Formats: sequence, structure tokens, C-alpha cells
Amino acid sequence: MSKAFLVLETGEVYSGKWNCGIDRAGEVVFNTSHSGYEEIATDPSYFSQIVVMTAPMQGNYGADESCWESNRLWIEGFVALQIQDSARDRAWLKRLSDHQIPMVTELDTRDLVLRLRSGGTPWGALVQAQDVVQAQKKATGLIAEKKKLDKDWVYLTSRKQKEVRRGNFLGGPRVAVLDFGAKENILRELQRFCSELIIYPSRAGSSEVLSGNPDFVMLTNGPGDPADVQVAPETIREMIGKKPIFGICMGHQILSLALGAKTYKLKFGHRGANHPIKDDLLGQIYVTSQNHGYAVDPKTLPKDVHVTQTNLNDGTVAGFYNESQRYLGIQYHPEACPGPHEALNLFKFFIEKVL
Amino acid sequence: MPRRADIRRVLIIGSGPIVIGQACEFDYSGTQACKALMAEGLEVILVNSNPATIMTDPEIATRVYVEPLKVDFLEKIIAKERPDAVIPTLGGQTALNLALDLHKHGILEKYKVALLGATPEVIRAAEDREIFRGILDKIGAKYPKSHMVRTYEQGQQVADDLGFPLILRPNYTLGGGGGGIAYTPEAYNNMLVSALHESPTSEVLVEESILGWKEYELEVMRDAAGTFVVVCTIENLDPCGVHTGDSITVAPQQTLSDREYQAMRDEAYKIINEVGLATGGANIQFATHPETGERVVIEMNPRVSRSSALASKATGFPIAKIAALLAIGYRLDEIRNDITKSTPSCYEPALDYVVTKIPRFAFEKFPGSKDTLNTQMKSVGEVMGIGRTLQESLMKALGSMEKSDQGVPEVTLSIDKVSYPNSQRIYHLFQAFRDGKTISEVQQLTQINPWFLEQISSLVDFENKFKTEFSPQNRELLLSAKRMGFSDARLAALVGKSEIEIRDLRNLHDLHPYYQQVDTCAGEFESSTPYFYSSYWFNKSVESKIVDPVVVIGSGPNRIGQGIEFDYSCVRGVKAFQKMGHPVIMVNSNPETVSTDYDTSDILFFEPLTVEALTELMRYAKPVGFVTQLGGQTPINLAPKLQKAGFKVLGSSLETIELAEDRGLFSKICRELDLKIPNSAMAANAQEALNQEHNVGYPMILRPSYVLGGRRMEVVENREELQSYFDRHREFISSERPCLIDQFLVGALEVDVDLVRGKDWTVIGGIVEHIEAAGVHSGDSMGVLPPQRLRESTCERIELLSIQLAERLNVIGHLNLQLAIKEDMIYVLEANPRSSRSVPFIAKATGIPLIDLGVAAVCGVPKTQLKLENLHWRNTPVVSVKGVVFPFKKFPEADSILGPEMKSTGESMGRGNDYAEALMKAFISTNVHLPQGGEVFFSLRDKDKENLVGLARVLIKMGYSISATAGTAGFFNQKGVPCLALKKVDEGRPHCVDRIRSKHVSLVINTTASRRAIEASFDIRRACTDYSIPCLTESDAAEAFVLALRKARTGQSDVQPLNATEVFI
Repeated sequence: MSKAFLVLETGEVYSGKWNCGIDRAGEVVFNTSHSGYEEIATDPSYFSQIVVMTAPMQGNYGADESCWESNRLWIEGFVALQIQDSARDRAWLKRLSDHQIPMVTELDTRDLVLRLRSGGTPWGALVQAQDVVQAQKKATGLIAEKKKLDKDWVYLTSRKQKEVRRGNFLGGPRVAVLDFGAKENILRELQRFCSELIIYPSRAGSSEVLSGNPDFVMLTNGPGDPADVQVAPETIREMIGKKPIFGICMGHQILSLALGAKTYKLKFGHRGANHPIKDDLLGQIYVTSQNHGYAVDPKTLPKDVHVTQTNLNDGTVAGFYNESQRYLGIQYHPEACPGPHEALNLFKFFIEKVL
Repeated sequence: MPRRADIRRVLIIGSGPIVIGQACEFDYSGTQACKALMAEGLEVILVNSNPATIMTDPEIATRVYVEPLKVDFLEKIIAKERPDAVIPTLGGQTALNLALDLHKHGILEKYKVALLGATPEVIRAAEDREIFRGILDKIGAKYPKSHMVRTYEQGQQVADDLGFPLILRPNYTLGGGGGGIAYTPEAYNNMLVSALHESPTSEVLVEESILGWKEYELEVMRDAAGTFVVVCTIENLDPCGVHTGDSITVAPQQTLSDREYQAMRDEAYKIINEVGLATGGANIQFATHPETGERVVIEMNPRVSRSSALASKATGFPIAKIAALLAIGYRLDEIRNDITKSTPSCYEPALDYVVTKIPRFAFEKFPGSKDTLNTQMKSVGEVMGIGRTLQESLMKALGSMEKSDQGVPEVTLSIDKVSYPNSQRIYHLFQAFRDGKTISEVQQLTQINPWFLEQISSLVDFENKFKTEFSPQNRELLLSAKRMGFSDARLAALVGKSEIEIRDLRNLHDLHPYYQQVDTCAGEFESSTPYFYSSYWFNKSVESKIVDPVVVIGSGPNRIGQGIEFDYSCVRGVKAFQKMGHPVIMVNSNPETVSTDYDTSDILFFEPLTVEALTELMRYAKPVGFVTQLGGQTPINLAPKLQKAGFKVLGSSLETIELAEDRGLFSKICRELDLKIPNSAMAANAQEALNQEHNVGYPMILRPSYVLGGRRMEVVENREELQSYFDRHREFISSERPCLIDQFLVGALEVDVDLVRGKDWTVIGGIVEHIEAAGVHSGDSMGVLPPQRLRESTCERIELLSIQLAERLNVIGHLNLQLAIKEDMIYVLEANPRSSRSVPFIAKATGIPLIDLGVAAVCGVPKTQLKLENLHWRNTPVVSVKGVVFPFKKFPEADSILGPEMKSTGESMGRGNDYAEALMKAFISTNVHLPQGGEVFFSLRDKDKENLVGLARVLIKMGYSISATAGTAGFFNQKGVPCLALKKVDEGRPHCVDRIRSKHVSLVINTTASRRAIEASFDIRRACTDYSIPCLTESDAAEAFVLALRKARTGQSDVQPLNATEVFI
């Protein structure tokens, strides 16, 4: 019988139990949320990643497509100590299986997480193999293949066609959304406050976006390295000062690039639902949902940009704001899903105070 | 914002004696808070009436007052100490209510004392259910439909409106006291009366039933800036209907989706803000409908709680410490996370493991009480198991119960033990699956969430798999078994092997658990905090950096007979070892304790106290040895097997332990030393007992072998009762476990002696004289130090005899002796080669640091290296009386009569310049009302009538009137004591119990002789319990009580802080 292996590019091999899916490769990251497996797996920001959940058991409360953050699963693999798999309920495992996502259990996730924490998040592959040697061989091929992917992951996850959605607030503003791999809940939140959403592919040009004459521009979350994202930085640069801009996560990072700042890769990223943020705009400290592997280097931000949100765990930039130019970048996920809701007020703040 | 500069001296109020619903978790929180505030350089004044606590150790605070937790005594302390502020959120409901009282009486204002942590408004908002419901309405939160009931008549209307079943929740009581579930109008009417009585405000919330809903708790914190975090979510395995303190609970929550959980979290956030909690911790209980997901709020507590202690242990987030720091002005982001040392405290812990808490009960102590669980808490202790998976943690918790080495032994299935919540349900759930019940069948019977039932049923499935697939070569199967949490003993039972064989097989396959940290962050950040647990899911252990540690084995779950006093011993012992330069590993399974605070020892292992778990962890940690003397009977029982496994007992050797514990050997030694012991015999059955009748003589005291706290111990007056004893306890008596029969020394005085024997020195800690005569368990008897009725010369003889015994037994460390004195002759009753229940009391009464001495003895410190000169217990200027607290109210069918079986849950200490003052304080501290006038009812056994006629005269002189049952009344009248005669219950109505229940009586003195008389007078005592009327069942206690009454009338009393003595040079 073949066994399940997680092979890291750096050589480490972890063995476990294969539950479903096909051999796949991706960046190996860990997430410390207690709940929200479905939201995580359907979040396009996890494109090309194998997600290791630190919470021991996944799938406990079944599956519910109404909480999906997009219309598909984006992860390349799912690892946890256990998965719900009983006659009464194996809904989540079935979803993973239907989407051919490899699910590996009975692997010492803590050992793996300590490795990721100390050595960073490498490429890796989940494979079925007879032994370690075979696993390594298979993984090497898969990783090499995966690395050939276009580096602009934002483009890979973004819509390719413009989409118009009606908002739920008739008197509200009209918003142009640059889809970098958007989570549905950003769009849902915008629908609450706006009359219309015009959602553009990531490589839409500024003239196209501005031609719709939106009241503001939303830059969404998305996967990968912001430095590899094509077109969007120029598009944004051309809109700064002309339209109020609100960027979340990848949107925040690309906004910073458009401002001439630099981003850098964090050792192992922030992925979870318990990261404390000091928010000078809302005048509050609160716990947030986070998912990012890169951060903005504050030293490279223009002088008129104020860092207004700080991650209290490691002091990294979690948000910036320019009142006169009317743009706001937020590194974490005010739209939550999964995670706590306190930062939801940033949507309100932007719509009421910035616009 | 940094700390408030205007606060330099803080008063912390403890929670008083251990009672069901308010136990040593408040010692944990209070101690933690004291340590945190002391570290901030504040002066901390502590008051608690419970001497068994760590917090009342003089080293914990700047000054410690062991005084009654009542307004007048608090005022005296405040007047003396003039604190800047008081923190009332650390001592449970007792401290909160007391703070409200201080506020109401204007004392806080008078002395300009700030109330930190919770304002009177917040306390009222959370406790007054009507105000709380108003708040819930305001934020749009739902709650079960309910009505506040203030009268019996109103209660009838409400019942009509809501329909049955109904839940009764009296206002301002702890642990749901006086509440319950009523399924029928008859039960409802009875419960309503007592619930109205229990509520200090005579208000009862009558609520529609949400039985069967899923129940959750959120442990939250908030700082003055409004930062809000959920420290921990807790999910109850038992659905609504069982008090959360009596439920098996797990953390983090397991069955809510993120969406459902976040909605609950949002609601908690709103409630905290709307209630107005400025800073500190709180817990909020929710219920959700299993199908519709509809959510209701059950209640909130604006203070640290039993759940917050559990949450702290489950996550590593020290809620009480942070609450104390927030109270003095810090904010969450300014307080560093102790565990990671790098991140701030304004975060929510992430767990990569599961914890399970299981309560431990004591129904067997209260014959006649029904083992059913409802909304009124009845458990006396709890354990927590940490594992990587729910199954591993559940099984570790079950292993921690100290009920069976197998953890989940087979039982004879009884379906009503599955369908009606009770203390044994978890074992019957396992058995139900073993016996072929399906998950849906069990779900129908229990309404337990199927997710939990699946976990249990798959454990049972695995048992079958193990039985069929087991072979010594099958390493994989054994690994799976260990990962699921099965103990070696259980696996052995499944395949008909011995525990040792399975252990050897594990060793052969090199199957051992590994150890990792509880780090608050699921591995995201580095942490150096040495809070460890084991799992078979790990690939490797954290490296242990500590060299040559000493292992201190704790006392496990609190139970009647082994409680907080042993945690005091452990914690103080850990500190003493550290003072002497030894790193210490603490092992315990009880989440309520100070010993399981991660900064008590150098390494904390949260593990079951089983031979298997201890062997593995000592294999990993390589200690110099382990200490058995501090954790009560639990480590004593483990010691032989641990020594056999190759580890060293520190202090008294196994031989010493055996000499003291084995009655045969011990009697031999006593005879050898020419010490008197009561006549004794052993019998495997009634016939053998009858044969020994004449050698022992009536009355005799009977008990099965190997019992703790006097389980099934009874005084037998005649042959008929002897026969009855064997009939009732047949299953506990056999030739392997014979019944022990002792001569009962009627009217003898009993004493406890605690001493420490070192290399070339012995220190007597003190002699505690029991107030009740022989026959009442030493744990249930009030006690006084120094003795009031013993001659000086007798005390000296007791000391000599004790030293002689310690030497003969070759004790190294602690020895506790129980002696009886009759006609100036000293009888040796038993010897315990360990620290005892009386040690913390003696240490605090005399200032002699007995535990430090015990550790010095264990470490072999000679007398030249200790300061032993001034340790003379008899020089103590203060008289100290130990008061006792009983849980009879919680067990409506139980008798409050005292006997050889221990029933008390906690103790208090009264300190005074004389015996009367100390007595008075001890009674007040145990919430015994000292009536200033009214009727005293006597019902006496013949031999007490003559004794107590004098007492009746005194009472009359003091202005009380006297009533009695016909026999006693006749006797009193004959002696010229005016006395009203009342009918006995069997003499028709209105009888004496009617008179008690109609509140005509303010004090009852009821002594009985035979078993029949005890049964006949049950209703008298029960009425007293129900109506909180003091009821004394021993003539000595009655005399002591009257002494206290007289003192109380003088209104004169003083408060004094404790003294401490240092013995280390």
C-alpha cells in the first residue's frame, strides 16, 4: 500500500495518511485559525499553496457552499492531524476529494509548523509513494513543473472578464473593483454600502477603469508575490489622487508598489485569525484575520503616507493612509471570513470618512 | 496607558472556604494576581478565611489576613490598612457580593477606597437577571423566555405561562445554588420554595427549558481602551440541562462553523461593552439549538471564574494575572505574553491540541442522595486532559480521574445511566457502544451532539479492532491505540494481558510519548515556557534543559478528603526545593490549582497521575527522584510501582510508608513501643466479625480496607447494626479486602499532630485538638490550636510519643498522627507518612513553615544549617480554630449528621486572642449564622441530657427560649429549666420539624445514639439545612457554639495579619 508524503523542496519528508486527491505541489504554509477551513480553501489568496492547519481536526462542522469565498477551491493541498470522516458527515472531505485536492492526515503538524516557522515556507509536494525515495522523486518533478507557472498569480486567479454587480444600497457610491483574486466577502461588504460594483480583471488599464467614472476604487486581496504582478501597479499609479482607493492585502501591497515603495517576503507569513492590530484610524486595538506572505517596507513609503495600522506581534506595517490623496491600504482582512469582525468598520470608515 | 500612579496598596478579597461551585480555582486566580501585583511593586493586602489556600501563605502578599469575609471584618482591615483600592473580581461570587456590601454600607467611600475591575453597576448588571435581560434586549441578543418570580403565588402564574419543564435560577447565588429543573408541578412547587429562600434577594428567575441545546462558554477579556479578546472557547459535551461545572467540556469549541462562532463572538463583545465592564475577564455562556442554530445567552460573570481557570490552563493565557494588571491601569497591548515573551497580550490563543475537562463527584459520600445532574452544581473537583486530538485528550482526562487504571473500564450498562445525566454517564456511554447501541440511538437518549458520540463510538470500535488484530509484532496497532489515548492497563484488559506486559511491549517497539509545549500560538512563535504535555502524535520532544530535577507529584482532582490543602503543600514545597537550589518538575491533572500554574515550578507537566504517565515523563526528564509527601494519598499509592520502575522516592522510604500504612505492621510497632492502640480486628464477612465481637467490644468502628476520607466508615453500637453494616457494604469487603474493626473510644478527645523529622532534628508543628469527640472524621471535626482541654503534661507526652514513633518508623519528612485521649490515656489511631490536611492550618496558626522543613528534611539538611531555635508551637499567642463547611444543601436527600465518613468540602480559620473569639470567627467564616435571640430546640440522646442542661440554663440567661422533644423537655423541666415540649415527627402534627420549617427556631441541638435514632431525626437536620439554621449534632460542638454566641454579643473582635518564620539560613 502506498503511503502519503509531504516532501519539502529543502529535503525534509513527513509521512502521513492519504485521504483523497492527486499528487500536487505548492508553497507550504500554515494557518492557526480554529475554524473556517472552507473559507480558507476557497480563498484565491491560497492559490498554489499547500495549507497546513494547526487545529487538529478539520471538517468537524461539515460543508456549506454559502460561505465559500469564490466558486472553487484554490489550495493545492490540505494537511491536518485528523479529518472528519464518518458515515454521518464527511462532507468536507468529499469536497476536497471532488476537487482532487490532496488531504493528508496523521502527520505531526506541530513538528512541520516549527520547521516552517524557523526555516520559512518552502515549496513542497503532497504525493503518494511506496517509500521516501520515490516520494522525493515524484515531488521534485511536481515542484519543478509548478514553478514553471506564470509568476503573476494575481492574473491567474483574477476574472478575465469585466463583471457588473448591483449593490444593495441604492443611494451608495459606485465602486470599481480591481480583482486580484478577490474574496467574495469583500464584494459582499461593498454591496452593502454601494449601489454598483464594476469588477475588472487585474490587468485592466486605468483609462478603462476611470471611464466607468466610479466613486472609488477597491483593490482586492490576491495570491503570490506583489512584485510579480503585471500592469496593476501602473494602473493604480495613474489613479492615485484622482479617485479614492482602498486596498486590502494584495491590493494594499500593490498600492504601496504604485507609490514607489517596496515589499519583502516574510519568513513564514501571517496566516490565522488571532493577530493583534493597532489601528490609529479607528483608535482601537483588535484581533484580525490575516493571510499574507509579504509585507510593505515602511522605510520605502513616501513621506506623506502615514502608517496607521501596525501588527503588534512583529511590528510590521498593517496599513497606511493618506488623507489628502484619499487612499487607504490594509494588509489584513477587514472582511473577515474566517475570523473576527472588528475591522469590518474600516469599510464604513472608508465610505463615510474618505469618500 | 501605564499603571495608575495613585494606587500603591491594594486589597484582594479571596473566596473563603471551599464549597461546591467555588473551589480552589479562586486560590489559583488570587495567588496569580497577588504575584503579579507584588511584582509591580505594589503592597498587596490579602484577606481570605480559608487557611488551606496558597494565597494565605504569608509569602504571597505583603500582609495576609485570615479573617471572616464579612463587612464588619473587612471594614476593620480597611481601617487598619487604608488600601487605595480593592479588587473584588478574583474571589468568586463571595468577593463580588462582599464588594457590593462594602459599597452599600458606604465603607468604600468612607475610607476612599477605589473599586477596581468591576463597579457595583457591573456586578448588578451581571447578577441581577432582570437588568441583564434589559441589556440583552438592547443589543438584540436572545435569551430563554423567563419571568422573575418574587412570591410563591407569582410562581404559579409563571409556570402556567411557560409550561414544563422549567428551570429555576435564584438571583445572586453561586454554582446555581438552590436552582434546578422542574419537570412536574409538584417538583416545581417544592423547588420554588427553596429557591426563593436561597436567593439573598428572594428572587428566582423561572425560565423556559432549553434542555438539549448545545452549550458554550466564551472566556473574554477587555481593557480600559476597549480592546477585546476571546481567550478561549469552551464547548460542553453535555447539552444544556447540566450545570457547566458538572459537564464534560472541551476547548476549543469543536462543532461551530466560523460563521456561527463569529456571530457568538460579536455578541459577547456587545454584551461586555453594554454591561459596562471596563477592565478584566468575564465569561459568557451561550446555548445554540442543535438544528436551527438559534442562539440564546444564558448568563455572564464579570470576574474570573472556574471556567477562566480552566481556560488559562487550556491556553497558557494567565487570565487572572492579566485581569489584575488591567485593573491597575495597564492595557492589553502593554502586557507581554508570558509564554512567547515577544508578543503582546492583546491576542487570542491558537491551540494545536484539545483539552477535555471532566468533573469529579462525591455522591457516594452522601447515602440517599440521588446521582442525577441538573442546573445546580454538585461536583467537588475536576481533571483536565491535554491531547493532540479530542480522543487523546478525553482519554487522558478519564485516566486522570483516578477511578480506574483502565480509564474506560467496562461497566454493567444501565440505560437510565445513559439517558439521565449522572456522574457515571461517560462510562455508560462507552458501554452503550460496546453493547451494540448505535450513535443515533444514544443521541436520542442523551441529545449529545453526534460529533462527540462518534468520537466515543470510534474509540469503542477500536477496542474491538485491537482485540482481533492484536499481536506482539503489530507495532502500528499499538501506536494507533496509544494515539487514541488508551492506557496500557486498558489495552491489557482487552487482550487478557497484564499492564506490565503491554508496557514491555511498548518498550520493545520503542513506543513512548513525546513532550511538547502549550505555547498559546500553535507553534507560530518561539516560546520558552516550560508547560508540557505528552502525546503519541508527536515525532519528537522539546529538549528539556533542566538538569537533575525533583519531581513533585500533585494530588489530582479535588475530592472530599483530598483537596486544596495538598495543593498548598505541593506549591509551598516546590518553592522550598527551589530555595534550596533544586529545579522542580510539577505534575498534576487538576486545572483548578496553583500547582498547575506554569510559573509555579521549573517545568509543569499536565498529565494524569498514573504509574504509566509518571513513568514515561520521568523517563524523559531524568529526575533525581520523586516526592510523595506533598500530594496527599495519591502519590503515596503510586510510590511502590514507580520505585519498581526504577525511580527514587525522596524522603521517607517505601519501607517507612508501608510500616505506617499497613495496619498489621503499624500495630506491631505500637505494641513494641508500648503505645496504646484501640482493640482491633479484621473480618472478611459478618460471621468473622461476630467471632471478634468480644475482642473488640461495642461500640466499634468499621471500615473497608484502602479507603480515603473514611469512605463507608461507620460506628456500630450493637450486633444488629454490625449485621446491617455487612449487609449494606458486602461488595466492598472480601478476604483480600477485609473489613477493619476498631474499638470505638466513646467520648475520647481526638488530636492531629504534624511533625517533620530531618537528619538530626525533629520539629513538632503543633497539636490540633478536635472540638467534636471521637467518632467524627478529623476532616469534619472543628479543631483548635493550642488545645483547650488537654493538660500541658498530656501535650508533652503526645510530643514525646510522636517523636518516638517518627524515629521508629524512620520518617524523613512529614508525619501526621491521629491520636485519641481518654481518661488521660493516649491511643494511637493512625499515622500518615506525608503532609496532611492539618498542615496548612498549623503552619498558619503557628507561623512554623512546616512544608519548608519537610523539604529540608527530604534534602538531608542538618540542623546546623537551619534556624530551628524559635519554632515552638506552644508559644503561639493566638488561638486558632478550624471551622468546617459542608455541602448538604446540594444533596437534598443527604443527612447532615457527622460521623466517621468525611463529608466536608472546605474549612475556615478563626484567629482570636482567646478561644471564644477564634470560635466565633470560625463559625462566621463558615457562614453559620449566630442567632442573637429566639428559640433553641433540643433533641438529645440520654447521655447528653445531663451534660447539656447547664447549657440550656446559660441560653435562657442569655435570653433565648428553649423547646425540646417530649423526653428532653420533661428532663429539662424536672431540672427547673423552662422548656416547651414539641412533638416528634412520628407523634403527629404540628411537630418539631413543622416548627423549624415555619422559622420559629433559630438554633437546633440534636444529638443521637443509635442508627434508628439517626434515621428518626433526619427530618430535623434536613429542615435546618434547608433553612440555614445552625444545627449541632455533638454536645462538645454545642458548647463551643454557645461560647461563640456569647462572644458575638460583646461585639468585640480584632483583626491581625499572619506571621511568618524563615527556617532557611
